[in-house]
Amino acid sequence: MGIIFKIAWRNIFRHKGKSFIIGVILFLGSFIMTAGNGVLSGMNKGLQENIVNRFTGDIVLIATNQRDEAVVGGWSLTPTEVISGYTNIKAILLKQPYIESFLPVCRGFSMILNEAGDMGFSGLLGVDIDDYQRMFQSNLVLVEGRMLSSTERGVLVTAGARKAIYNSMEMWLTPVDSPFILSNLSPEAMSNSNSLNIQSNMVLMGMSADGNQLDIRVPVVGIAKYKYLDSIWQGYSILDLESFRECFGYVTAQDTEIKISEEKERILKEEENLDSLFEDKNIFQKVETKTSAYQIGKIKPKRVAISTNMDRDAGIYNIVFVKLKRGYKLKDALLKLNIELSNSKASAKAISWKKAAGSIGDMVSFIKVILIVFVALLFLVAAIIITNTLSMSAIERTTEIGMMRAVGADKSFVAKMFASETAILSFFFGGLGMVIGAIVLPLISWLKVPAGTNDFLLLVFGGDYFNPILDTGDIIAGILILAFVTVLAMLYPVIVATRITPLEAIARD
Amino acid sequence: MNIIELKGVKKDYPLGNTIVHAVRGVDLCVEEGDFFSIVGPSGSGKTTLLNLIGCIDNPTEGSIKIHDQEITSMKDKDLTNLRLYKIGFIFQTFNLIPVLNVRENVEFPLLLMKKFSKAEIRKRAEKLIEEVGLKEYIDHRPAELSGGQRQRVAIARALVTNPDIVLADEPTANLDSETGANILELMKELNEIEKTTFIFSTHDPDVLKYAKDVVKIRDGMIVSREELKH
Repeated sequence: MGIIFKIAWRNIFRHKGKSFIIGVILFLGSFIMTAGNGVLSGMNKGLQENIVNRFTGDIVLIATNQRDEAVVGGWSLTPTEVISGYTNIKAILLKQPYIESFLPVCRGFSMILNEAGDMGFSGLLGVDIDDYQRMFQSNLVLVEGRMLSSTERGVLVTAGARKAIYNSMEMWLTPVDSPFILSNLSPEAMSNSNSLNIQSNMVLMGMSADGNQLDIRVPVVGIAKYKYLDSIWQGYSILDLESFRECFGYVTAQDTEIKISEEKERILKEEENLDSLFEDKNIFQKVETKTSAYQIGKIKPKRVAISTNMDRDAGIYNIVFVKLKRGYKLKDALLKLNIELSNSKASAKAISWKKAAGSIGDMVSFIKVILIVFVALLFLVAAIIITNTLSMSAIERTTEIGMMRAVGADKSFVAKMFASETAILSFFFGGLGMVIGAIVLPLISWLKVPAGTNDFLLLVFGGDYFNPILDTGDIIAGILILAFVTVLAMLYPVIVATRITPLEAIARD
Repeated sequence: MNIIELKGVKKDYPLGNTIVHAVRGVDLCVEEGDFFSIVGPSGSGKTTLLNLIGCIDNPTEGSIKIHDQEITSMKDKDLTNLRLYKIGFIFQTFNLIPVLNVRENVEFPLLLMKKFSKAEIRKRAEKLIEEVGLKEYIDHRPAELSGGQRQRVAIARALVTNPDIVLADEPTANLDSETGANILELMKELNEIEKTTFIFSTHDPDVLKYAKDVVKIRDGMIVSREELKH
């Protein structure tokens, strides 16, 4: 054992009180840092698991003219711009080796209408349900009824949306051909259970920018909920793709199947002919019209099954969710994909899931920053207290240090002695804090502390349960941070100690 | 041959708004192997003079040479090395490292030198500890020793590097007369055997009977120098 280490080690025991205070600060600092890192990692993993893998993918493609990029987590009712030429975009995506899978969807908000003139709102995702479940790990689970099939028209209403619809329209949705389940009633509906207005279909009117929307009646096939972060995503009910497009006035796959005769096509192409149609100023005539009142009750649901032979991709989409291959950097993928899209003059751009998630992504970043700032502040305070205690210790030991200098110890010896003392304390107490933190974190995970329905907790926990985890990177980062704080804390005391001269030691005597 | 030469050495200390002239132009030569005593009343400048000779303090004015080397212009690192290799210190209060035992305290300067093997360091330290009569206390820490025993440890530590000069600031001031006499006997013996130059300050007349040379100092100035014959 070197003389420096020997003196440092024994001094720690000689000044037990001070060593203990510094030790406790280092212990608490590293324990909280380890716990904080665990929470951050758990949150990251949870978010990866619950948002990226189950809802958005890593990258979201949106229309190039889409202003508000928060197309998933933003709850603005402004219509989402459409992506045209999806077939071309699909070809680009298929060529990218770093892309694992992708899913085009329609996304929008629709009004819900009923005969009584009440009005409700719902977020809708128009998807091929089989592809959706495959891409997002069967994120939708049934509460009532049955799952929508790829070949049928209908809507899967989320349990949260059903509750919201009841609250605004006093209409309780029950899936077609499914028994009414009293126990599933919301507290508000339960209080009115004797006179419930039970419906198995709903009239939707898409909120699109160009006014081409239609009122459509769709059967409620099932009531579902999202397996993870349901309280956040429950705003999106699932509508079959073709109904969505009809409802929002988009080009449907069926539309693209319509064959126009060569003669009609020729006429449509002749712009001059089209213009000439409007040359006659008397084209409009005032006529008496007789219209019957608009009656929602008369809107009949389409019973036509969706053909499996149809090219769905020929229709309109708003968003494409893209998942990357494991380990591929999001930043790099975004850059490459945007270059490819731009070079191909595609009408889509790639953005990160965080941007698309809008306020949710912002909240995630905010929580992360708060946690990091908290841990950093904690260490700053710890460093200040340790610096102060060690500086006092250096001044108190003026005689001892001065005498060492008098008999031939140089400044570096004194610096090493002080640094060793702090390093030993940091190693033992800081290490202990990290070990205890590493033991406590799995215990907390094992306890399965529920987040409940609190969105903030759901995000902090990264899922339905508090699941902090510690990986090798966190441990290495923890050690580096602890080392940095130790160096920072010892810097000033070492300067104080090395400035002590032998004369000061004698003068003090 | 002169081992130490002081020419026109002055040392001033600021004390509030005034300046204390601790040493006021001292010229002094000390020969190699001398047993040299600086005497004077308290506050006469004895300790300051020893500190200046021992490279612990810098003069305000004048020149100090050790082995013909001017020390006033030396860097801290060189002064530290000079103290380590050429000078041994025995302080008025015993100034041992409290967390090290007797052997480790004596070994300390040798460990700083980093030029001896572990076995050699131990051998030299144990030899000196035996010479100062502390063999049976070799594993004791300073807190477990009496004042005299601690001073003997300090002497062993000062001599373990075989320094050319040993500076002792009132080495017997805190000791009873019997222990003080033993310490001086030991120093004298080492002076005669090892030819080590000893410079010690004192205002104890009993100590003077051991000195070969005595310099009397008052108000920071040398008032007389006397060679004693015993």
